Amino acid sequence: MLKATLRSFLAHKGRLLLSALAVLLSVAFVTGSLIFSDTVSRTFDRLFASTAADVTISPKEDLDEAVPSGRTATLPASLTERVRRQVDGVAAARADVKVNGLTVVDEKNQPVGPTTGAPTLGNAWSPNERSPVELSSGHAPRGPAQALIDSETADRKDVRIGDALTVIAPPGSFEVRVVGIVTFRTTNPGSAQLYFDTATAQTKLLGRPGTATGISVDAAQGVGDDQLKRRVAGALGAHTYDFRTADEQAESDVEQLGGFLDVIKYVMLGFAGIAVLVGVFLIVNTFSMLIAQRTRELGLLRALGADRRQVRASVLTEALLLGLVGSTLGLAAGIGLAAGLIELMGLLGMNIDTDEMEIGWVTPVAAYVVGLGVTFVAAYLPARRAAGVSPMAALSDAEVAGVGRPLRARAVAGAIVGAAGAAALAGCAVSRQTSSAASLLGLGVVLTLIATVIAGPLLVRPVIRVLGAAFPALFGSIGRMSQRNALRNPRRTGATAAALMVGIALVGGMSVASESMTASFDRQIDKTLGADFVVQNSNFQPFPQEVTDKVRGTDGVGLVVRGRFTPVAVRLPDGDRVETTAAGYGPRLDEVANVTYAQGDSAAALASGHLAMDRDFARDHGVRVGSALPVEFPGGRSAELTVGALTDQDAAEGFGTQGGLFFGLGTLERYAPGGQDSALYVNAAGGTGDRDLRANLEEMLDPYPQVQVRDLADYKRLVHDQIAVLLYLVYALLGLAIIIAVLGVVNTLALSVVERTREIGLLRAIGLARRQLRRMIRLESVVIAVFGAVLGLALGLLWGVCTQQVLALQGMTALAIPWLTIVLVVVGSVVVGIVAALLPALRASRMNVLAAIAHE
Amino acid sequence: MSTPAAEHAPGLAPADGIAARARGLTKAYGSGETTVLALDSVDVDVVRGRFTAVMGPSGSGKSTLMHCLAGLDTVSAGQVWLGDTEITGLRERELTRLRRDRIGFMFQSFNLIPTLNALENITLPMDIAGRKPDGAWLDRVIDTLGLRDRLAHRPSQLSGGQQQRVACARALASRPELIFADEPTGNLDSRAGLEVLGFLREAVDQLGQTVVMVTHDPGAAAHSDLVLFLGDGRIVDEMRRPTAEAVLERMKRFDVIRSRYEDAPASSEEN
Repeated sequence: MLKATLRSFLAHKGRLLLSALAVLLSVAFVTGSLIFSDTVSRTFDRLFASTAADVTISPKEDLDEAVPSGRTATLPASLTERVRRQVDGVAAARADVKVNGLTVVDEKNQPVGPTTGAPTLGNAWSPNERSPVELSSGHAPRGPAQALIDSETADRKDVRIGDALTVIAPPGSFEVRVVGIVTFRTTNPGSAQLYFDTATAQTKLLGRPGTATGISVDAAQGVGDDQLKRRVAGALGAHTYDFRTADEQAESDVEQLGGFLDVIKYVMLGFAGIAVLVGVFLIVNTFSMLIAQRTRELGLLRALGADRRQVRASVLTEALLLGLVGSTLGLAAGIGLAAGLIELMGLLGMNIDTDEMEIGWVTPVAAYVVGLGVTFVAAYLPARRAAGVSPMAALSDAEVAGVGRPLRARAVAGAIVGAAGAAALAGCAVSRQTSSAASLLGLGVVLTLIATVIAGPLLVRPVIRVLGAAFPALFGSIGRMSQRNALRNPRRTGATAAALMVGIALVGGMSVASESMTASFDRQIDKTLGADFVVQNSNFQPFPQEVTDKVRGTDGVGLVVRGRFTPVAVRLPDGDRVETTAAGYGPRLDEVANVTYAQGDSAAALASGHLAMDRDFARDHGVRVGSALPVEFPGGRSAELTVGALTDQDAAEGFGTQGGLFFGLGTLERYAPGGQDSALYVNAAGGTGDRDLRANLEEMLDPYPQVQVRDLADYKRLVHDQIAVLLYLVYALLGLAIIIAVLGVVNTLALSVVERTREIGLLRAIGLARRQLRRMIRLESVVIAVFGAVLGLALGLLWGVCTQQVLALQGMTALAIPWLTIVLVVVGSVVVGIVAALLPALRASRMNVLAAIAHE
Repeated sequence: MSTPAAEHAPGLAPADGIAARARGLTKAYGSGETTVLALDSVDVDVVRGRFTAVMGPSGSGKSTLMHCLAGLDTVSAGQVWLGDTEITGLRERELTRLRRDRIGFMFQSFNLIPTLNALENITLPMDIAGRKPDGAWLDRVIDTLGLRDRLAHRPSQLSGGQQQRVACARALASRPELIFADEPTGNLDSRAGLEVLGFLREAVDQLGQTVVMVTHDPGAAAHSDLVLFLGDGRIVDEMRRPTAEAVLERMKRFDVIRSRYEDAPASSEEN
């Protein structure tokens, strides 16, 4: 029996090729993402472990910054002295200065930092054996006008020793000359690094002499990190600062970088998931068809005495062999993929050596579990069907295999699952609670997807009748035959189209959601933004006071309202403590924004010691106008603020700004000093045109490439671009799904062509030209692809509309259907159909007519 | 092309030319030592308006002869004409068009496209060509074959005999110059087979068509006007106005004939 199985596997290897490719792709994405994330996290573990001091003292981080405030937490540099003197077992202590978010420009005002969104950091130069960099040319910086720059940035931007740079730091800009180049001893995570002498770093980057952003303490011989940490904490007071051992510091550094790496990991796993999902359809279909074609052969095996179990085992063994081959090749492809990703990271400035590629034991295990699991699961049903072949099948003269048993069971199962899915989606649409709506949405999406896959074959007849109705008229009998061929085996057509459907449904849903988000933001911007111009950073990063001063000093500027953010924690009357981000606005907010208040007004909201919040949030937590709320600010400050107004905005709760809290800029500066402005809302002075003002502003801000001047339309575009990033990801997912789905269509058509050899021979004999035959197969392919696309779009639109209902709870009330995308998807599916038919059509047209019609 | 049926009296009277002709037709398979000659320099003329049967034992080359005459297969040497057109040397595309427009086919089995109904199958060659069928002729063919109430049926809903009648109607529908029937009764019971043979006879007599039928059944051959006997790739004999008994007798003598066969040129009835 095993011999028969192996023979069969080898005999069908051509037909199994595409299935193996599907397995390969799934496995490659799974292993690629595992290898990549292992390698990167190992690299950074090593980097941070090697650069962390034995004990690090840093300012207490009580509130996380979801939205950057531009504030750099400091501690007195004199702690160094105290630690050195008061703590036993300290070999050395250094005051570190490390300031994030600098902007450095060259003499032509071109930014020198990375363009990838990675930060530019300014540091105090205090070389030691744990420095991540070493001086490779030039000399150490001395005095306020000298700096070192890292070699990678220098190479990228062609900066040399002797070049003049302008550093735009929070306290103000200053000029430096490059006096040396430093080289990374470890991996550079992608940032640009500048080094100054300690005094310069303190005064020019932090704005205050005698401060530091952290203290590094080295332990003396024989003193453990934990022991030293306890002693330092004891000497300085355990609750005054954060103390971390080298291990803890490395862990915390990795965590900070982790968010970014997690994103890459999840994206990759998303690709793997899509590949697996679509691949399953392909494999199920391949095995179903192979078994249908081999019905007589299997019947013969049964007639010769093989029992059902043996037949089933034979098919499953074949599947496992396929999985084994696919997984092995996929593992190799995954290593290649990881290497490619690492190279790509290199282009973004994160240099990881591909030699350091880390392949943990989990990777090959995952590869084979995924590869074998997918094929086994996918082949299980066809194998059961194979086992059900009766010995009589060997004797019967069944011409076309697998025309299909009644689809009643499918109808029932599809209807039940579909009804459950529809109920979940309906529930999500009417739900008022974001969290329950979101989980209902997830459930509904999964259930409706399953229902559509189950019921797909049932939809084949009605939908393709409609879709292909024009075919006989347009293409005559060729069109008629292609349409009917697609209808011939609804199960097969349904399964083939399902692969395409999954990807398209996903994209349909996401594009409706993002289009609705865009429309909602547009509406909200139109409604609320009243300023002529907004000056801000394209990543919403804060900028130094200097920029604000320049804008104020620009000719033609009438009014400038500043906006800032700070992390806060509010204790609410119902006992909840909510950590969020609050905004601070300058006076005359009403002239640059249209805030809708449920109660109170801007004057009450911005008054000293007062704050405003979203009406719904206030209601949920039992807050009313006049409530006094204890508010915690960064750096351990706290205050009791009075609720002055409640707002009624569409999207008060944006990203990380739960509750829509805001207060006057004065209040913010009193309790959260040291921040930077995040946005400036500018109105023209009377008599100055918008165009003139814009030109003036742009000229004035030329030395500050980190900020841009935007009017309403530009501001919308900025928001659109942020959402578009999400869409690009979705399109990439779609691309992969489509590639695999195309493989599926190719597979189905190729096997169908083989099945219909005699029919094709007959057609050729009675005069069907090769070109016409190819067209017939192409049209069939197009019908299948468009069927998949229509089903996918219908499902995607449903999902999208429900997603929008959930988003509406977050204030995104506009519903927008991306008609252009929908049309493009349908057109694209026609192209997919044509491409998928290329090979099968060629094969059919090359078929030998005589061999095809030979009756013996 | 074919003369109107009205001018044909039943019988053989106004045969007016050659529908297909082969000269020195040779078909070899393999090469060198292992060469097998399926057709060995065959000369044959198919007379227009007649029902010609090709008989011979298995492997005698009768199917190969039909495939070569119909432009389905290439020849190793010799020439083949359909009417005035030499088809040897035509390119694939021209051959396809020729088959579509000038030849009708019936096979032993699998004659019909399962996805098309009877009427669609009948008009398929014309649909492929993008031509409108001649309505009056089509009606006549359909009525002659008694298919009027079966037109909307799919092949799977038809009996074997009905399927062959549809195939016969398809072969006739475009009024081809020549109809090739390859064992058209091979898969039918004797009654359905007789019916089909009767229709082919009628196609020649009433509709003025030209039919070449390959068969190994003497009873089927008896319906033809002329039987050509093929042996070892050559035409070894012919018989006019055959009867089943005579054909059977002739077939029994095959081995004897084979032994004393001389290279006599194959001929049609007009030689």
